[in-house]
Amino acid sequence: MSERMAQPAGRVIDAQLHLLDRQILDRDGVPVSVVADVELAGIEPGRAIEPDAAPPTITDLLVGMELPTRIFGGRPPSSRRMRIPWKLVADVGTVLRLGVTGDRIDATWVERWVGRRVVGRIPGGRHDPE
Amino acid sequence: MILSDLLGSEVVDAAGERIGGVVDARFALDGPPGQLLAVPRLVGVLVSPRSRTSMWGYERTDVHAPWPIAHYLRYVHRGLYLAAWADIARIDEGLVVLREGYERHDPRLRTASQGS
Amino acid sequence: MTRIFAVALGILTAIGGFVDIGDLVTNAVVGSRFGLGLAWVVVIGVVGICVYAQMSGRVAAVSGRATFEVIRERLGPRAGLANLAASFLITLLTVTAEVGGVALALQLATSVGPGWWIPVAAFGVWIVVWRAKFSLLENVTGLLGLALIVFAVALFMLSPDWGALVGQALTPAVPDAEPVATYWFYAVALFGAAMTPYEVFFFSSGAVEEGWTRKDLATSRANVLVGFPLGGVLSIAIAGCAAVVLLPQSIAVTSLSQVVLPVAEAGGMLALSFAIVGILAATFGAALETTLSTGYTLAQYLGWSWGKFRRPAQAARFHVAMIVVLLIAVGILATGVDPIAVTEISVVFSAVALPLTYLPILLVANDPEYMGEHVNGRGMNAIAMVYLVIIVVAALAAIPLLVITGAGA
Repeated sequence: MSERMAQPAGRVIDAQLHLLDRQILDRDGVPVSVVADVELAGIEPGRAIEPDAAPPTITDLLVGMELPTRIFGGRPPSSRRMRIPWKLVADVGTVLRLGVTGDRIDATWVERWVGRRVVGRIPGGRHDPE
Repeated sequence: MILSDLLGSEVVDAAGERIGGVVDARFALDGPPGQLLAVPRLVGVLVSPRSRTSMWGYERTDVHAPWPIAHYLRYVHRGLYLAAWADIARIDEGLVVLREGYERHDPRLRTASQGS
Repeated sequence: MTRIFAVALGILTAIGGFVDIGDLVTNAVVGSRFGLGLAWVVVIGVVGICVYAQMSGRVAAVSGRATFEVIRERLGPRAGLANLAASFLITLLTVTAEVGGVALALQLATSVGPGWWIPVAAFGVWIVVWRAKFSLLENVTGLLGLALIVFAVALFMLSPDWGALVGQALTPAVPDAEPVATYWFYAVALFGAAMTPYEVFFFSSGAVEEGWTRKDLATSRANVLVGFPLGGVLSIAIAGCAAVVLLPQSIAVTSLSQVVLPVAEAGGMLALSFAIVGILAATFGAALETTLSTGYTLAQYLGWSWGKFRRPAQAARFHVAMIVVLLIAVGILATGVDPIAVTEISVVFSAVALPLTYLPILLVANDPEYMGEHVNGRGMNAIAMVYLVIIVVAALAAIPLLVITGAGA
């Protein structure tokens, strides 16, 4: 095996091992979603890659319809993707922590809607347990 | 492109010979600095000659327990290597083509806690 | 008193595994047919659940991750979904049985038919899940469930032939009147009950609810080592009572009133009252444990916000899921199905759920990324691997035995 490749300067993550299916928490530790897939920029399928081409990068975490397609096959339409931009990620460990509160992320709209329209309307739904 | 399009792809050399499957994609957090973390840049893909999935990565870490499971999976993924981004000639649907004279790099993550 | 409360989580978890409504009846059936000839299975089951519950508790305390988060992470979406579907069905059927069981226990106490009590029981479970603090819920049901110790007391008061009982337990043999397959069917059923997956879901999620950290590892161990052996003792005591009173008279156990018959014979009304309080608390506790477990598993697989330490509106889908589960349970019971028979079907789903639950726990308990210095030792891994093999064998044997014996008939 070759040892010639220089070790990267930053932290190294293997995407399947360290990103896929990990829990995403917001700044306050509230669960947001689970990483269903990861969106990459800089790969053009079928096109020959120039020898000195810039490496592809991770742009977004995907948390929507990518889950059923990973289970049952098929491919999620790219227009319906639910994205959490990588720039919101503050830490990668056994969980991914975001640097913002979950309320400010589009991906949490279902939870917010159910909380406001359904659970919040049942008596006691907005109170701490006793 | 999304990651799961890449995972499980067949890997062929410049002559078109099948040489393995993509089990993972390695990134380094040393791209342009973002607001919180650097942007992850693709270092290369991990190619296993005998398999297309490696969920638990025993062949890349120094975790040896539980012994029967870790050692069996190491055996399944023997010969796993890292193919650098610079050695990739073309990425297609379900197919990764390596350049002529590509190198097989050591796939190990530096320590068990590193990158994790 | 505070000592008891410190291990309330373990006690409540074990009650759900060993003496919930299905197990109460199964234990008595086993005792009335096999004496203590299957007590060894309970002992093996207690050790197994201690090993894996301790691992799941340690993972939760050290890494903050509950069991189904770990399952999704290690198994991926597909095998994770297979486990979710199987575990969810087992737990849903058990919720149904427990709600029916609470109704049966209330019937035993009041002589009013169970039909009236089913909606009351389901509403009671919901209101506690909706409003009560986790600590209140576990302390009350755990403490009142201890009233089941009356079965052990009753066994002593019956002054049985101890030599014969111990002989049955130490030299297990299949009784002449029973087919060998039936004996093994009940062995697998008892083992499966001891290792029911919702126990680790509830225990690890409860650890997160209580905010355990590395400092609470001793608490976790105490919970495991008090709770599950206690559950095992209660399980054997119920079988023992049935072996002493019901076996000689060849009374076949088909209902809850026959389960408490030996207690009434030994200790009269007072003991009977204790037994009824214990059964009520155990079934109600098990109903809470299983209802919460359905919410925990679904929320953790899908990454929803969950937990009773949050306001319901901040764990909205988690609470909606549990409401739907309780409504389905009431719907199933409204068809007039026997709640106890419902739990027997769930043995089938264990076949998928057991290995897919315990394998990821074992893997993560060995992962230094999650556990740091608190990874499993060699001894723990050796026992855990042995149990993994037993679990797979039991899971594979479950369905053929169910079919051959007609569910132990």
